[in-house]
Amino acid sequence: MTYRKPTREETTLINRALGRWGVFEFFKGRSLVIQENGSKTVCLVPGGLEAVMHMQPYLAGLAIGELKKQFVPSMAGADLFARSGKRNEFYVTVNENAEKLVLYGRDVMGESIVEASDTLGENELVIILNGWLEAIGIGRTRFAGRSLLQKGKATVTTLMDAGYYLREEG
Amino acid sequence: MPALTLIFPESEESTGLAVRYDYDGWLVRRFIEYVPDVQNFMGKMERPPTQYIRVNTLKTGREELEGRLRSKGFELKRTAIPEVLAVKKAPMSAGATNEYLLGHYYIQDLSSCMAVDALDASENHAALDVAAAPGGKTTFMAQRMNNAGQIVALEPNEKRVRSMSFNLARCGVYNTCILRMDGLQAEKLQSKFDRVLLDAPCSCEGVIAKDAKRKTSHTPEDVDYCSSRQDRLIEVAARMVKPGGILVYSTCSFAPEENEMVVDRLLKKSGNISVEPTKHGSSGLTRFGDMAFDGQLKNARRLYPHMHDTTGFFIARLRVD
Repeated sequence: MTYRKPTREETTLINRALGRWGVFEFFKGRSLVIQENGSKTVCLVPGGLEAVMHMQPYLAGLAIGELKKQFVPSMAGADLFARSGKRNEFYVTVNENAEKLVLYGRDVMGESIVEASDTLGENELVIILNGWLEAIGIGRTRFAGRSLLQKGKATVTTLMDAGYYLREEG
Repeated sequence: MPALTLIFPESEESTGLAVRYDYDGWLVRRFIEYVPDVQNFMGKMERPPTQYIRVNTLKTGREELEGRLRSKGFELKRTAIPEVLAVKKAPMSAGATNEYLLGHYYIQDLSSCMAVDALDASENHAALDVAAAPGGKTTFMAQRMNNAGQIVALEPNEKRVRSMSFNLARCGVYNTCILRMDGLQAEKLQSKFDRVLLDAPCSCEGVIAKDAKRKTSHTPEDVDYCSSRQDRLIEVAARMVKPGGILVYSTCSFAPEENEMVVDRLLKKSGNISVEPTKHGSSGLTRFGDMAFDGQLKNARRLYPHMHDTTGFFIARLRVD
């Protein structure tokens, strides 16, 4: 595993994403590096670790997401964003029943959504929140605006969920 | 060379206890020498140990977590460490709640948290965790450091490193770097640290209540092996501490060969290390068999299941000048 500073293009992509998730201000002055291991993982790292970064750490700081065509947050990243930023239209809140299901990787039914922005489009990446406004998953909308709330249909596909830690670790 | 594990002669008491509780005789004969109120101790080791959870204050507060878990039917009791709660009643496994998945707490014995408490790490520190997996103490250190400063965590085993990385991510820790490295190689880092934690690999005598196989599965030779490795590890760990910094040495064993004797040898070799008092537990031993240790060892701490309601544990806080 190797670590390096993001290129200018990568920095642009990351900053755009941080703006999207309402955490641009939170990340100002913080250090981000790219971990290359087949994929490109963006890691939030503490300052002062320069001496060990050349020793190819297994993990440096917190992996907040992956750079593909766009920046896709990890669960740890989504959790940090939800706690640290200004929640905006890209956050969808679900009820307690849906929370349990999302944590098993299940999709979100329209009637389980407690709050979603009218301006949210179809095929948008969203962070799924529980009633405590904590990130429980990352999803992609199947519908736009009020159609997200339609009953009897899965309207947000769950891509990742916080239960992943246990399933993977186990 | 470390001394060989001391073996004591049989007595009516040792034979009776070994038979009653299914232990190897040599272990019980030693317990009689260094565990106070051994009858009560052995009875306690037969009962499931109290489960503790440590509130992850990087994500939530103690009162909030208490409220959420109580609403699910948990009964919790506060402990001497403000972040640690004893689970008195649990309607489900403590590892099966949404709050656990979201990293609001870590299942961890009170004794382990006391070792981190003794380290007294804070935001402006650089800290080294020499034998870090699965990351319980590392994540508590990160929490006490408010996710600031820097922690370097060493762990040689790939599987354990992976598991540790999940724990750090679940707890939202971002001030830590994990290196796949044996603690004995720590000097390759070419840095010194304000705080160093060495929770040394040990014979695990202290966790018999969790794993009854240990009553008969380990031998005096295992204690010898652990003691020898601990000697080498603590010497390296001490060299990683900045002048004026703190090294906390801990094990989950009761064996003096893995605890006081290791620290005593380090004190004799170094000349610039002192043992500082810490808050929790009983005094360390200053004598064992026919051996006398440095008087400062009374400042080290022993945690006994029947006296402190923890797993068996040893903690020494060492100042390196």
